[in-house]
Amino acid sequence: MTTVRGLLSRRWVLVLIVVITWVILAAALKGVSTLELSTAADTPFTAWLRDLAASIRGNRTKSPAFLYFFNPIRLGVQGFIEPIRSVIAVPAEGDLIPLFGWLGVVALIGYIVYATSNLRTSVLSMALVFGCGVLGVWADSMDTLALTLGAVFLSLLIGFPLGVWAGLNDRVMAVIRPVLDLAQILPTLVYLAPLALVFLIGIASATIATLIYSIPICIRITAHAVRSLKAGPVEAAQSMGSTRWQLLTKVQLPMARQTLILGVNQTTLAALSFVVIAALIGAPGLGKPVIDALTIRNVGDGLTAGLAVVLLAVMLDRATTAAVLRSQSYVPVAGPALIRRRIGLIGGGIATVVAIVLSRNQLWAAVFPPQLNFGEEISAFFDTIVSWVTSTFDFLTTGLNTAFTTIMLNPLEGLLANSPWYLTITAISLVALIVGGRNVAVLSVFLMLAVVAIGLWHDTMITLSQVLLATAVVMVVGVVLGVIAGRSERAERFLKPVLDAGQTLPAFVYLVPVLALFGPTRFAAIVCGVFYAAPVVVRVVADGVKGVPSDMVEAAVASGSTTTQVITKVQLPASKKSLLLGANQGLIFVLAVIVIGGLVGAGGLGYLVLVGQSKPELTGKGLAAGLAIVLLGIMLDRIAHASAQRSDRSSS
Amino acid sequence: MTESADPGASAEAAISVRSLWKVFGPKADSIVGTPLAGLSRAELLEQTGCVAAVRDVSFDVAPGEVFVVMGLSGSGKSTLVRCLTRLIEPTAGSVLVSGEDILKASPARLRELRRTRFSMVFQHFGLLPHRRVIDNIAYSLEVNGVKKEMRHKRAHEVIELVGLHGYANHYPEQLSGGMQQRVGLARALAVDPEVMLLDEPFSALDPLIRRDMQNEVKRLHRDLGKTMVFITHDLAEALKLGDRIAIMRDGAVVQMGTPAEVVANPADEYVADFVRDVPKSHVLTLGAIARPAEPGEYLDGPRLDVTTLIRDASPVIADASGPIVVIANGEAVGVVTSDDVLRLIASEPTASEHEAR
Amino acid sequence: MTNTRGTTVILATAFAATSLLLAACGSTVNSATSSSAAAASPSTSVSGSASTSASGEASKACGKWGMAMNAWVGYTASAQVVSNVAKSLGCTITQTKLDEAATTYDAMEAGSVDVVIEDWGGGRWKEWVDRGAVKELGENGNVGLIGMFVPQWMCDKYPDISDSANLNKYAEMFKTAESGDKGAWYEGPPGYTTIGEKMVSANKLNYKVINTGSEAALIDLFTKADKNQTPVLAYWYTPQYFNAKVKLCRVNFPKSDWTDAAKASGLTDYPETTLVKLATTKLVESGDPFANLVANFKWTNADQDSVSADIEGGMTPEAAAQKWIDANPDKVKAWTGQ
Ligand SMILES: Nc1ncnc2c1ncn2[C@@H]1O[C@H](COP(=O)(O)OP(=O)(O)OP(=O)(O)O)[C@@H](O)[C@H]1O
Ligand SMILES: [Mg+2]
Repeated sequence: MTTVRGLLSRRWVLVLIVVITWVILAAALKGVSTLELSTAADTPFTAWLRDLAASIRGNRTKSPAFLYFFNPIRLGVQGFIEPIRSVIAVPAEGDLIPLFGWLGVVALIGYIVYATSNLRTSVLSMALVFGCGVLGVWADSMDTLALTLGAVFLSLLIGFPLGVWAGLNDRVMAVIRPVLDLAQILPTLVYLAPLALVFLIGIASATIATLIYSIPICIRITAHAVRSLKAGPVEAAQSMGSTRWQLLTKVQLPMARQTLILGVNQTTLAALSFVVIAALIGAPGLGKPVIDALTIRNVGDGLTAGLAVVLLAVMLDRATTAAVLRSQSYVPVAGPALIRRRIGLIGGGIATVVAIVLSRNQLWAAVFPPQLNFGEEISAFFDTIVSWVTSTFDFLTTGLNTAFTTIMLNPLEGLLANSPWYLTITAISLVALIVGGRNVAVLSVFLMLAVVAIGLWHDTMITLSQVLLATAVVMVVGVVLGVIAGRSERAERFLKPVLDAGQTLPAFVYLVPVLALFGPTRFAAIVCGVFYAAPVVVRVVADGVKGVPSDMVEAAVASGSTTTQVITKVQLPASKKSLLLGANQGLIFVLAVIVIGGLVGAGGLGYLVLVGQSKPELTGKGLAAGLAIVLLGIMLDRIAHASAQRSDRSSS
Repeated sequence: MTESADPGASAEAAISVRSLWKVFGPKADSIVGTPLAGLSRAELLEQTGCVAAVRDVSFDVAPGEVFVVMGLSGSGKSTLVRCLTRLIEPTAGSVLVSGEDILKASPARLRELRRTRFSMVFQHFGLLPHRRVIDNIAYSLEVNGVKKEMRHKRAHEVIELVGLHGYANHYPEQLSGGMQQRVGLARALAVDPEVMLLDEPFSALDPLIRRDMQNEVKRLHRDLGKTMVFITHDLAEALKLGDRIAIMRDGAVVQMGTPAEVVANPADEYVADFVRDVPKSHVLTLGAIARPAEPGEYLDGPRLDVTTLIRDASPVIADASGPIVVIANGEAVGVVTSDDVLRLIASEPTASEHEAR
Repeated sequence: MTNTRGTTVILATAFAATSLLLAACGSTVNSATSSSAAAASPSTSVSGSASTSASGEASKACGKWGMAMNAWVGYTASAQVVSNVAKSLGCTITQTKLDEAATTYDAMEAGSVDVVIEDWGGGRWKEWVDRGAVKELGENGNVGLIGMFVPQWMCDKYPDISDSANLNKYAEMFKTAESGDKGAWYEGPPGYTTIGEKMVSANKLNYKVINTGSEAALIDLFTKADKNQTPVLAYWYTPQYFNAKVKLCRVNFPKSDWTDAAKASGLTDYPETTLVKLATTKLVESGDPFANLVANFKWTNADQDSVSADIEGGMTPEAAAQKWIDANPDKVKAWTGQ
């Protein structure tokens, strides 16, 4: 134990020496070779990208790649999604309602949920969908729902077979794994622009972007489901002469059912959260008002739409989770319960059919009744609250902002971005060498040189400084709340809904109120990053603390430790692995949002991505910034990963 | 005596295994037939990173015989039994089943053999949790394309056979461990296989249930006469069920013989350790201690067959006033007195060590 | 009855199928709307905000066209007025919310929208015009002026601040944590025409350009500065309804011609921009009444501001536009030629 601590502290002493030297040199060489580049300026690489983008745009109607590949894909996806939209979301031309009016949709959702899980969840789902109407965003909600369901279907169609294949075959897994890993650290904002370039702004791009986000999740869980099956039954079935196909369909898939449904759950939530972001490249639905809220400052409408997203998320989550729970036992219902269920299914079916018929023939059942639509009131209410909070706590938020920025952010940004690039690269790679080992250090040098070559070094460092600070704050918040939640069940029960909402609320939604509170500042972006990443970190830390064997804690208590001692000397050290995992996750989540922070004044790479999307002459720069984000993400992830593994090794 | 005298594979045997090897590891294929094969398991692991789970094993199992394989954990029993049906692909050697070389069978032929000739029972049951008892039992018939009606009929027959009447529509999670293993047995019996392979089928059950199940297997073997390869690390179980026992250590067979042979003459200290605590009277027959009558001993006492276990004979011996007569094929071959039995029992702990040297 | 789960699935699918079959039969609600009963229909509340279709009686003369809807209110005012007039001509107009510039031009090239009624882009569409996808249809009558603004109270208190030459004098006042030891220069959102970096360097200003990222940020900045009488220097533009709420004061820089690329390097202020209309070649060449309407559409900043103010005041864009149309029949007649 003492040697471990000795090793650890030796490592940190080294890091400290590097950092101090770095700070001194950076102060001496301030402003030298910072590679700062004005927004409008191009580098050879970005100019090349810009011309490439222009030629892609010019070739969309001519080149065979588009005629025979991209355009058919685009039309195919669009042709798949549009019919779904026309059932619940978009009226045909000249029509008042889509295929089903609101009552029909509510009933159908209720029925499907009842058939796959239970009555309680069904009622809850209907209430939540109804709530979208009350919020005054029925049509947008249905559009989001339609797009989500379509994307989920396609994700499963592609991800499920691939996941099964990767689950069965090690070689396939080896090929797919790096792609999955990359997908996990790729900030969502990054692939929107290239997709829009190829598939144009619109539903097809939005759907494909969503698929890129959700398919890896589907593959991962499916492969895991197949891999983690108990070996016994599979071997037994083999010993009885099953063919591979029989083994798969009669044994492996049925046994994996619960995990597979969990995969559906995760895929669905991922798709929903992305469909909102995909509004940036033309996804219809709730994402639009959320983003408009930023462009034309409409806090109330944005929050109302955000709330509707949460309602949909809770609905989809509960419905699929209930299905998971139902499939926990392999024993189907029987006896009186079965008869009751059959009656329920038939009765519910009849009621649903009636509701659908009504929804197509009665105005009140077709168009969400205006008397029940409280959208404007709710929006106004949000407006009032936000402006009250903003004006009341202005002194506090401004003070906090100023203090944080001057004490932490400016010095760090100065160190990273305003000192010579070669100094920063040397320092970062030395730190990587000490905490992560030689391979990571070499990789880091390579990635950072690539950023320099792209020409976006200065902006990358601005973004990096925000990511590092936000992660630090997230870790503090995460550890404090995580320890509390991990130690007390009551606290956990209290925190759970907050964490749930935090995880489902699209990051865009709180950009606007945060902007109102902190103005267009880097701090606002950091706050958003903290909001977004904290729930995950809290979860991971709480799980870690809960996972500490209770006899360990009891032994510490019995030997007279204070609560603080128990936490700092037993629970935290024992859950070190979770802490490191939390830090890694926190980093990746923070990066994803700091980039979006370009919308609230964070500058850096995220801003360039956004500029590139709307100014054709800066397309190249935007694409290059996306690439730089990816490089940065890989570097941070690898360093965090390697240091976690290292300390894992040294403590075992 | 560790191997059958016949060096070539036997076509009459139900199973005939020759020089079977299974090596796990990076260079598994480049070990058998090289000097590396002569290394001990530990040395091999150190030098090549490979584990020789089964090393040069040969044996024959006669039709209708119960062949028990014993050994400590990690000695390669499970690997060996899985090699017999190529659930694990052997590295070298040959496995003949009724004269047919399994290792040369095509995938389709192998599936057919698994569907009809072999069946297997597993330590952790390996039941399919999403299927009812009856569908578990009918699984191998189902994959073989037997019509639903037919396979359910057959499944009901074996359900009766293993005493699970009334549980056909239950799911495995609704059954106790013992009942689950009955389903495992029934499933193995459903295809009416020639050979049953049982890998520690009762190790996960508690002692009382285990005894029940052992009796069940004994009964089934008596009634159906299946050839069985039975893996266990419980000597009492081996002695109770086995016609012959093979003892494995570090992948190799160190001794093979009848229970009495193994207990009476352990081939080395490893085997001796195994059998140390076995009451010899429970395994040895009168034949092992019968001696020629000494002058003055009368041959008018009770007559018992040479194959009678000493344990079973001892009440008679104790009650008899003089020696009892041991007969084989109606001929007297020797006598046994209660003193002889007492000497055997008294000598037990040390005697086995003695004989080992 | 052995496979209970299977039966459940069959039951559920049977009902799902029935529902879809039912959907194939006619809907009285929908058939009612396709007739003229649509006049009173709450069609806007039914259709997604992503695409609002305004349909009128079928007419052979006018076809179906797409109108790009950019985010700001002034744009909405212009686009809605044109849509309403087009509707009265019998055209079917689908409105699609889009980001301006590249996004919209791409959409035009792809054929999903046909008209941009107010473009500030200053020639950014050149690439699309060169490819023959888009045509410029001339000025729409609105004159845009971008610039750097301070709240009115500052101009009142420091009258010389409206001359860029004096900005350095006041730099200290504009310092924030964000800008460090320089004054904070809040730049416009990514999609907008911005030349702040050039203005700062050409005028050797001691200011740091901060990219605000969204119009919401600018509105927040000015609102706060106006209310608390705090200093702020930020990007803004007219016409904008917000100008009616908060009085701003423009800081004037030396003029130069910024539309000419050759002279652009020396540019130091935003010029007045005559805002233009763009349409797809397809629309222009169709000879459709809608093409005619778009080509003739022209109105003043005051016209637009009055509609914008109504929209901001809580009217639906449709109603606000109709109110203006009803009040200005002559102007409308000039566009349609009827
Ligand atoms: N798939 C595998 N890969 C590598 N080594 C293996 C594999 N399967 C088994 N082994 C090794 O082969 C040796 C024999 O294992 P096996 O499972 O056959 O032993 P066993 O006698 O059945 O033990 P137990 O009584 O514990 O079941 C062990 O050392 C084991 O580690
Ligand atoms: Mg085993």
